[in-house]
Amino acid sequence: MKSKIVLALLATTLAAGAHAQVKVEDAIKWRQSAYATMGWSMSRIKANIDGTYNKDDVAKAANVIQAIANSGMGALYVPGSDKGKGWADTRVKPALFTDGPKVGKIAGDFNAAANELAKVAASGDAAAVKDAFGKLGGTCKACHDDYRTKQ
Amino acid sequence: MNSKKRILVWDLPTRLFHWLLVAAVVGLVVTGKVGGNLIDWHGKIGLLVLGLVVFRLVWGIVGSTYARFCQFFPTPAKIATYLKGGWQAPGHNPLGAFSVFALLGVLIFQLLTGLVANDDIAFVGPLYDLVGRDLSNLATGWHRLSVDVLIALIVLHLAAIMFYAHVKKDNLVKPMVRGWKEVDQGEPARGGGALALVVALVIALAAVFAASGVWLPEPPPPPAAVETPSW
Ligand code: HEC
Ligand code: HEM
Ligand code: HEM
Repeated sequence: MKSKIVLALLATTLAAGAHAQVKVEDAIKWRQSAYATMGWSMSRIKANIDGTYNKDDVAKAANVIQAIANSGMGALYVPGSDKGKGWADTRVKPALFTDGPKVGKIAGDFNAAANELAKVAASGDAAAVKDAFGKLGGTCKACHDDYRTKQ
Repeated sequence: MNSKKRILVWDLPTRLFHWLLVAAVVGLVVTGKVGGNLIDWHGKIGLLVLGLVVFRLVWGIVGSTYARFCQFFPTPAKIATYLKGGWQAPGHNPLGAFSVFALLGVLIFQLLTGLVANDDIAFVGPLYDLVGRDLSNLATGWHRLSVDVLIALIVLHLAAIMFYAHVKKDNLVKPMVRGWKEVDQGEPARGGGALALVVALVIALAAVFAASGVWLPEPPPPPAAVETPSW
């Protein structure tokens, strides 16, 4: 019994420790994975807009984007992760770490657009989804234009 | 002494090419910068520009006198005459010719990189599948960088036209709109008849077809019996 509690405590401290300081390599990997997953979801919604529209498919994809957008991805931009390798060399621009309010605004717009898309996706209104999808894509681009290197 | 005569300098296809190109390139820069759902239009207008440029390349061989590349190719001799101030002939002067080749060259580069580009959001160029991810990312980087070169060339192009209009008192825009120009000497443009036009149009359309990627093999449809898991 006692040893179980100790083990549990140990596990919690370890987990908390891991939470407090994400390793740079992991942080880069995770954010790259999160973005790639959003890329998957965006393509999926696009395929529905261009082809036959499946409400459930779109809602699933929109929920994924909404979840990632609201996951607090900022935590993956740990100090020192402006350089380094995750799945590949990071393409973040150092400016992302220094432009505080400007990045915050872009991230906020992105969150709002992701929430809006998830909302209209649930309603199944294809025209509204197309519109919200375009707006969301614009916020992805706004961040990439300013904070991701060209290659 | 004042024996000016009217000659045809820019034939109708060359003029149509030019003004359609202006409209389309403006559209491309706007849709490329704005992104969002407009990126789909960017791809479509890109194919239009591809058709226009290929048309112009063919027209540079089979078109009428002053549209032909060999007529205005800037040879050292021509440049020397021009620099001494002795340039009289209608059509592109040697410096203008550099501008034409530079504009067309950068446009072609823009088109080739654009055709395989991706925006990492939900759009890929129609020939993306031919090159794969890594090369596409590289091409996208170049595509985005060379836009600035293109814009600089266009600014220079417009500055040169303003310079001619205000300093040299030579309005180049009117001939590019109306086709003819009043000159002291020079022959009107000849050639570039209906057959040449058909040939150029057919080649341009074929190029648009090739670039549109519709001929690329569809990924084989998954066999009906095999389904991906439903979770
Ligand atoms: C707050 C800024 C920001 C927003 C918003 C943003 N991205 Fe990104 N994105 C980045 C950065 C920075 C990278 C590079 C990450 C790295 O390499 O460390 C990236 C990388 C990517 C990648 C490449 C991932 C890989 O495989 O390495 C994809 C795909 C992507 N983003 C898609 C999207 C999509 C789709 C959206 C919108 C739904 C989006 N991004 C919104 C900043 C952003
Ligand atoms: C003369 C032709 C073209 C011009 C002038 C042009 C111009 C532009 C511009 C201005 C951008 C925005 C770059 C930036 O935000 O920094 C862009 C992006 C893009 N263009 Fe083009 N383009 C041309 C042709 C094409 C073609 C033919 C295609 C493919 C069909 C294409 C695909 C793309 C893609 C995918 C992007 C997004 C890049 C990104 O956001 O990372 N372009 N283009
Ligand atoms: C997107 C912007 C533009 C592009 C890419 C462009 C491109 C070109 C090209 C390729 C030519 C060579 C024509 C040929 O021989 O076929 C040309 C010539 C010309 N362009 Fe443009 N152009 C642009 C905008 C303009 C504008 C806005 C004007 C006028 C206000 C203009 C006026 C002219 C004139 C007058 C010529 C003929 C030059 C001469 O007499 O030597 N262009 N342009």
